Amino acid sequence: MQSSFIGSVVVALIALTSIYLLINREWRWAIAGLGLQYLWAFLLITPSWPVELAAVKLVTGWIAASILGLTRVNLPDPPRETLITLPTGRTFRVLAAGLIILVVAGSAPRLTDWTRAIGINQAWGGLLLIGIGLLQLGLRAGFFRTAIGLLTLFAGFEILYAAVESSTLVAGLLAVVNLGIALVCSYLLIAPSLEAPE
Amino acid sequence: VSSAFLFAILPIVVGGGLLFYRRDDGLRTYTSVALALFLAWVAWQIPIDIVMQLGPFSIEIAPNLVLFGRNFTLDETQRVLLSLIYLAQSFWLLGALLTKVSRLFAPISLIAVGLLVAALSVEPFLYAALMLAAVVLISIPLLVEPGSAAGRGVQRFLKFQLFALPCILFTGWLLTGVEASPGNLNLVLRAGLLLALGFGFLLGLFPFHAWIPMLAREVNPYVFGFLVFFLPGISAIFSLSFFDRYIWLRSNSGIHQLLLYAGSLNILLTGLWAAAERHLGRIFAFASMAATGAMLQAIGVSGAAGVQTFFALLLPQALALWALAVSNSQFWREVRSLQLRELQRSLRLHPLLTLAMLASLLAIAGLPFLGPFSAHLSIWRALGERSVLVLVVSLAGSLGLAAAAVRILYSWVGPAQKSPPLPVRKDELGRVLPPESDMANPYVMIFFAGWVFLMLGFGVLPRFFLGAVPSLAAMFPQLFP
Repeated sequence: MQSSFIGSVVVALIALTSIYLLINREWRWAIAGLGLQYLWAFLLITPSWPVELAAVKLVTGWIAASILGLTRVNLPDPPRETLITLPTGRTFRVLAAGLIILVVAGSAPRLTDWTRAIGINQAWGGLLLIGIGLLQLGLRAGFFRTAIGLLTLFAGFEILYAAVESSTLVAGLLAVVNLGIALVCSYLLIAPSLEAPE
Repeated sequence: VSSAFLFAILPIVVGGGLLFYRRDDGLRTYTSVALALFLAWVAWQIPIDIVMQLGPFSIEIAPNLVLFGRNFTLDETQRVLLSLIYLAQSFWLLGALLTKVSRLFAPISLIAVGLLVAALSVEPFLYAALMLAAVVLISIPLLVEPGSAAGRGVQRFLKFQLFALPCILFTGWLLTGVEASPGNLNLVLRAGLLLALGFGFLLGLFPFHAWIPMLAREVNPYVFGFLVFFLPGISAIFSLSFFDRYIWLRSNSGIHQLLLYAGSLNILLTGLWAAAERHLGRIFAFASMAATGAMLQAIGVSGAAGVQTFFALLLPQALALWALAVSNSQFWREVRSLQLRELQRSLRLHPLLTLAMLASLLAIAGLPFLGPFSAHLSIWRALGERSVLVLVVSLAGSLGLAAAAVRILYSWVGPAQKSPPLPVRKDELGRVLPPESDMANPYVMIFFAGWVFLMLGFGVLPRFFLGAVPSLAAMFPQLFP
């Protein structure tokens, strides 16, 4: 798939989904977007890993998204994010995402020149998710958005890392880290409403 | 039984089991202390990979455990380190009894230490970054107790520590390329930059340090102390593995010089910030950052001397950070704001804890006769040989930390200030009790006596008290042949 038309379509879908996650305000759609993002990431990992091992990433991602969704459904809607000190509106975020796409456009071909193990679509997809994940972490407040940012960043990293490392132990431990991020952020979301110890 | 099962998996399993024990009768802490002491004793007394006859039984601790096709190896050379790690863990658990920290502290700290030992044992050693990430994740319930909201410090701690993971894992892959073609300067530069970025995040070095003072303001100082001791400590040992493994790293004098400069810059900045700080928790945070800076300098000393200096620094600094955590935690229980202007009453009520805290700050600054002094002396000598300016920078940072200690001293013995009343203590029948001074608390007196003995011992008789240092350094055969 690495240089095929389908691969390019998957990269385009990754770009759309991750930018949607960056600008989205409704948490339900964010969870759905995260689930889709893991599906596209899975498709980019399959050229490097056997499908059954790559499926671990997909299942882990969906479980992480479910954990976040199940936590969020039991919480009241927080007030809309207000502008604090930085410009963080939707237009600004789209422009910032545009910058990330420009940077990735420049660096993805160089990454593939550097190592033949990583295909051009994997480089595009991986770097894009890392960049948008970092933007998400920098521009969006709250633990729900932190979780989405971290999971996006790690999904991007895992696309690139899968091309160079196929250890089962690493796959397992990275799955634990992804689930851990979802669980910890869920705990941080509900901690204020839990009963305090005596 | 294999060493990795005994020293890594067993504590994780026991800690996990204790999480489900609901009663608050101290069993969790006592069980954890007993296990930590037992493991410290086993590591100290029972050799690895040698069959021992105990009456009718024969015991052998095998060095290898294979899990998912990967080796977890803890061999004979790591025995002293294992013993010290579990001894340190039992100290932290005993301190938890003194400071009445969260009920989750004992099981979670046991799991965290098990994971840290797993990080030291996993092969390829780069996978240790994954274990360190797991420690960060599992420590969150300790930092934010049920019923309380997490602040920005916790958020940054989570993000910055997890950023280290991709950097270090990618570095590992790059380094295999560097090994194959060491002449490829581009590859060496990229690997070096990613490695620096990864350890910058992991150790909380400037400019990736923002979470440390923020976290110190938000969470229980004892839990904070546990994290800023164990995480950078084990991460620094992990970083030594890189030098031991890759010849191009250990033979490059520029990298050692860079470490000396980076450590000195960290000490200078933290010293200046500490000197201007009026929040006790943040002073503690800056002291911990200075301690990390000094560890970096010790690694920068390079070669066999560098590894020895590193371990000669690690042990007394551990003691200093522990005392800072115990004392800060006590003050935090009485005055949540930890602002120096509000602490006078509390400082005067706890003269022994205040003394231990002041001496710890001065020890980290490098004051003579206190624990880390001999290691500081080696570092300063190495710095002086390379650049007098950097030596002055490092000493200025130490002076800043000492100034912070003087500021606390002034709050303690200076003119009376309007500090808020201390919380009222009551007995089981609801009768009001007088505030409990250090002088009436035998546990604090035992803690203080033991602490002074060890801190002065490390400082005055380093040859005797730091006798284990060559055995610790032997973990890295290429660096300490």
